[in-house]
Amino acid sequence: MRLIARYAKELKNTFEIVTVWDEIIEKEQVSKENPCIKTLTKSHPSAIWFERKIHDDFGIIIEDAFDNRPLVAQERFPKSVYPMRKSFQEKNIDFADYHPYKYEAIGGDGVFEVAVGPIHAGIIEPGHFQFSQAGEDILHQEVRHFYKHRGIEKMLETKTLFEAKPIIERISGNESIAYQLCWRDIVLKATKSKLPENNRKYHALLLELERTIHHLTDLGFIPNDAGFGAALAYASKLSEEARRHLLTIAGHRFGFGAIDFKSHKLDTEALKHYLDTLEEAINFFETWIIDIPSLWDRFDTTGILKKRKAVKYDAVGVIARASGLKLDCRENDFYHTHGFKIQGQTSGDVSARFKVRLDEVKNSIEMMRNFSVETCEEVSLNSINNGVYSAFSESSIGETYMSIEIKEGKIERFFMRDPSFINWQVLHLMMPGNIIADFPLINKSCDLSYAGNDL
Amino acid sequence: MIAFWNRRIRSGILTENPEYDNEIVQIRKEIKNQVKKKFAGSLAIRMVDSGSCNACEAECNALSNPYYNLERLGIYFVASPRHADVMLLSGVMTFNMTPHVQDAYKQIPEPKWVISMGDCPIMQAPFEQTYAIKAPAEKYLPITHHIQGCPPNPKEIIEGLLAFLRKI
Repeated sequence: MRLIARYAKELKNTFEIVTVWDEIIEKEQVSKENPCIKTLTKSHPSAIWFERKIHDDFGIIIEDAFDNRPLVAQERFPKSVYPMRKSFQEKNIDFADYHPYKYEAIGGDGVFEVAVGPIHAGIIEPGHFQFSQAGEDILHQEVRHFYKHRGIEKMLETKTLFEAKPIIERISGNESIAYQLCWRDIVLKATKSKLPENNRKYHALLLELERTIHHLTDLGFIPNDAGFGAALAYASKLSEEARRHLLTIAGHRFGFGAIDFKSHKLDTEALKHYLDTLEEAINFFETWIIDIPSLWDRFDTTGILKKRKAVKYDAVGVIARASGLKLDCRENDFYHTHGFKIQGQTSGDVSARFKVRLDEVKNSIEMMRNFSVETCEEVSLNSINNGVYSAFSESSIGETYMSIEIKEGKIERFFMRDPSFINWQVLHLMMPGNIIADFPLINKSCDLSYAGNDL
Repeated sequence: MIAFWNRRIRSGILTENPEYDNEIVQIRKEIKNQVKKKFAGSLAIRMVDSGSCNACEAECNALSNPYYNLERLGIYFVASPRHADVMLLSGVMTFNMTPHVQDAYKQIPEPKWVISMGDCPIMQAPFEQTYAIKAPAEKYLPITHHIQGCPPNPKEIIEGLLAFLRKI
């Protein structure tokens, strides 16, 4: 079974640990006096971040965990403060004494460490990478994040679904529409409402456009990190045009506020024309870039993730598909009838991830043609029912999972698992055998979100 | 490769807003006269994200695409605060980032300025105060200029930078 998420919530007298698998959902109750659980990391290594987060959020002890270091709470975060407990209502906490974080490091003659971050050299988000190096070769890498932790899960508690919407769409700017689609599905489930086919198509069109924008950006930045700047100039032109098109359709360059239940009109002629030019441009890009051997010399066999490891670490999204896993939330009848074909590669290296992105852009163009609808109507919603609702969507990074518990019309517990939360834990597997100069290239080929991961 | 150059010639120059070129000539004159010693005609920016959603970063990256081509105005994004004149700050100040942002600010050589961008640093975005947020940013850094928007689009960022240059 594939591990999707593991999180805790507070009930009246106990804590409940929810473990979401692809087939079942397991629930376990632990007492508040002595909260202890057993770790899952022996069979599913990527459970470790979930469990360290459960400890930081609720103070639940992971009995047999090999790693007890704090995850979200960093050096200056006060000890024994568990912010996700209902009794914790502080809006402002002071910096406490500095407790150093013990990084994973490999010892040995001539082995040294390289610390990268949290503020990086480019225009990117903050996060920390700690390398153990033998000369140029990477022996081990530790990924340490949660610098951008904003406490979104706590922030959304006691809000209604509609009050939470503007925050949800701004959790991760790269995946705004994917997040909004999860929110939409949860609203539909909570109100037992049906969405007309045209609205579904319109929303799917926006998602594909968002995915296209980010894949195009990556198609430029990946070659740029291998020193081929012309590809960035070309692809950033395409992604700017796609973003402007998102602005025309949704009224916002990042699609904030794009998914709603209102009626919309779409200029299908202009869209068709745009998609034709994009298709021509991307076909040219492919024939051009395929023909540059020095670039592929950098891409091929760099940062390999083996299928066996991808399965073991429950990887999702582009990374999983580039390593030969058939894993995509869009594998359903609705998408299949509109031209969806799952893309994949088997080599699991940078070039595989590059090709998956390229193929997905081409597939998205085909789907966007089929999703193009003239109008979609206003949807009337019934009242919101209490319960626990969850939804999936496929962002440009991978499978996004959202679960919201509603009590008396308000959010009791908001849980969000960004695909990056799993995939960041996979990243270090790609490093051994590569030189540190290839790290930016490998990192960019995965293009994971920091904001969505840190929440 | 011939196909590439053919296409290159057919595409021509995409860069928009040539009116800024005239404006920047004016600005450059002002810079040369007023802060000649400080900037020497070019402005180096260190972008620091203190907890944004990555949309502000995406828009700053878009500034280098062929449509905006910011570097032609002599404004550069640099890799280290030690190379910078200005810190461009985005995002809500998170608890975990605050010490690092202050560190980065200390590393910028004098004279230095901070420009904040987006609705987050001034807590105008929909995000609310939580235990993990140490906003607003002005409590920790002297902010000279603010560029509004969620996120401000590339044109608004360029205009904001020009407004900042006039201000100092």
